[in-house]
Amino acid sequence: MSDLLPAAPRIYWLESKAEIIKSARMPQFIIPTIALPPAFYALFALALGQGSEAAATQTLATFGVFAVMGPALFGFGVNIAAERETGQLELKRLSPMPAGAQITAKIAATTVYCAVSLVMLYSLGIVAGVALDAAQWTAMILVHFLSIIPFSLIGIGIGYRFGQGAAVALANIVFLSLAVMGGLWFPIMAMPQVMQSAAWVLPSYHLGEIALMAAGQRNDGFLLLHVGPLLLITLATAIFAWTGERQQSR
Amino acid sequence: MQTDPSLNVAKLECVSKSYGGLRVLEDFSFELEPGCVTALLGPNGAGKSTVAGLLTGRLSADVGQISLFGLDPRDRRARARMGIMLQSAGLPETLTVMELIDLHASHYARRMATERVIEQAGLVDLADRRCSKLSGGEQRRVQFALAISGAPDLLVLDEPTTGFDSEARRAMWQLVRAKAEAGTAVLLATHHMDEADALADRIVVIANGGIVEDGPPSQIKSQVAGSVLRLRTRLPAARFRNLPDIVKVEERGADLAILTSSPRLTLESIFQIDPDLQHFEVVGASLEDAIENLIMSQSKKEAA
Repeated sequence: MSDLLPAAPRIYWLESKAEIIKSARMPQFIIPTIALPPAFYALFALALGQGSEAAATQTLATFGVFAVMGPALFGFGVNIAAERETGQLELKRLSPMPAGAQITAKIAATTVYCAVSLVMLYSLGIVAGVALDAAQWTAMILVHFLSIIPFSLIGIGIGYRFGQGAAVALANIVFLSLAVMGGLWFPIMAMPQVMQSAAWVLPSYHLGEIALMAAGQRNDGFLLLHVGPLLLITLATAIFAWTGERQQSR
Repeated sequence: MQTDPSLNVAKLECVSKSYGGLRVLEDFSFELEPGCVTALLGPNGAGKSTVAGLLTGRLSADVGQISLFGLDPRDRRARARMGIMLQSAGLPETLTVMELIDLHASHYARRMATERVIEQAGLVDLADRRCSKLSGGEQRRVQFALAISGAPDLLVLDEPTTGFDSEARRAMWQLVRAKAEAGTAVLLATHHMDEADALADRIVVIANGGIVEDGPPSQIKSQVAGSVLRLRTRLPAARFRNLPDIVKVEERGADLAILTSSPRLTLESIFQIDPDLQHFEVVGASLEDAIENLIMSQSKKEAA
């Protein structure tokens, strides 16, 4: 590029690697975000489950969405807030690092952590008797990985707007609300009508339903009914993230 | 691309900058040269950090030209020649000192070897320690290491020795001097007058959006015929604040310290309001007093 700037791909790689190492050394991140969803799944589907394949499959489909929420919300939200508050972000912004390297590294790290959590989850699912065909597995895995996008955008929006302490609290509230009210732990049919209606504004609800369809568990489902709202919600989360970032980098 | 050697390291030309209607810099011009440690001094809100922010491309000017190595300060090729030590002390907690320096240096094509950075910043014993396990002073040294890791031609240091004991400060000053002697331009923003006095080749005093004084430390000190009157009086400090030529009245223990630009006139008027005054002494102004005096007389000129 020039005698002053090193090749960009190497920086992207080194920043991504550092981002992964940073979180790997934080038990307070690893345990609740990576290990918790598979542990819960083991409890729900294996220990408490009725042993039916359908129950294990349905729980796996929605827990896959649950599993990516932690790394996305906390990895982006809390880490950005902490790095912003301590001036680390500022120093990076003033360095000659390519502008996209920081966010690319965070996306890479989040994807890796989601993948680790999902692999554990899928292994437990197979133990619990989940038997999907190749197309169903592919579709469900794709939905789970795409779920990273809206949750990451919410995390980014939180990280740029709130201080570290507030970001942790808020990310926790969002994490639990999206999981419970979005029907990822148990079907929203078990909840009062008003909460069933409220679930329509939650990305977790639509992603859960789409994952269930992908896994062949919703024969009466109508895909576009969930894809449409989900796209609108994702657009809203993108605006939330983008305006938060703008607000900071004036 | 190679830069023309006649170009300055950094240059602000007729720059103005306001925040929400409040003018922080007004028609401000200023240059930095290689091998020279320039200290920016001034009261809080005088525009020190604004100048640093403009040079590092963190802020943009409302009016005027800013160039860094002949380029826009936001140009990555300009940033590649600059090392920055910010005032805030945050480091990624779980990376080791070595990992962090290695990562930061990788942003620069002309980087120093990590081992050399670690050696120069006096971090050899701490290389494998995680940043969360460092003391405040050690963290500052790591930040200095990050600033020099890209072998910069310009070092911008914001309060580099805050929270240091005197031994650590002198060690840091030595590191900075060594860099300047090797040809690096250094911009130092500091509250510590002794730091500027010990380290700077040139002191630029800023107040009210402009440069009040610009010269070597000795010149700044000799500029001021100011003196400090120490006296023991029963009258409250407020009684003295409105006397002529007074820059500042401060309570120091049981005494009052009065900084004045003309000790004779001030003493005369003090005797008028406190004829019983017994204990007093007149001492020369320190660099700190000198600068306050400069800023004060500048404000008076503007008010007139």
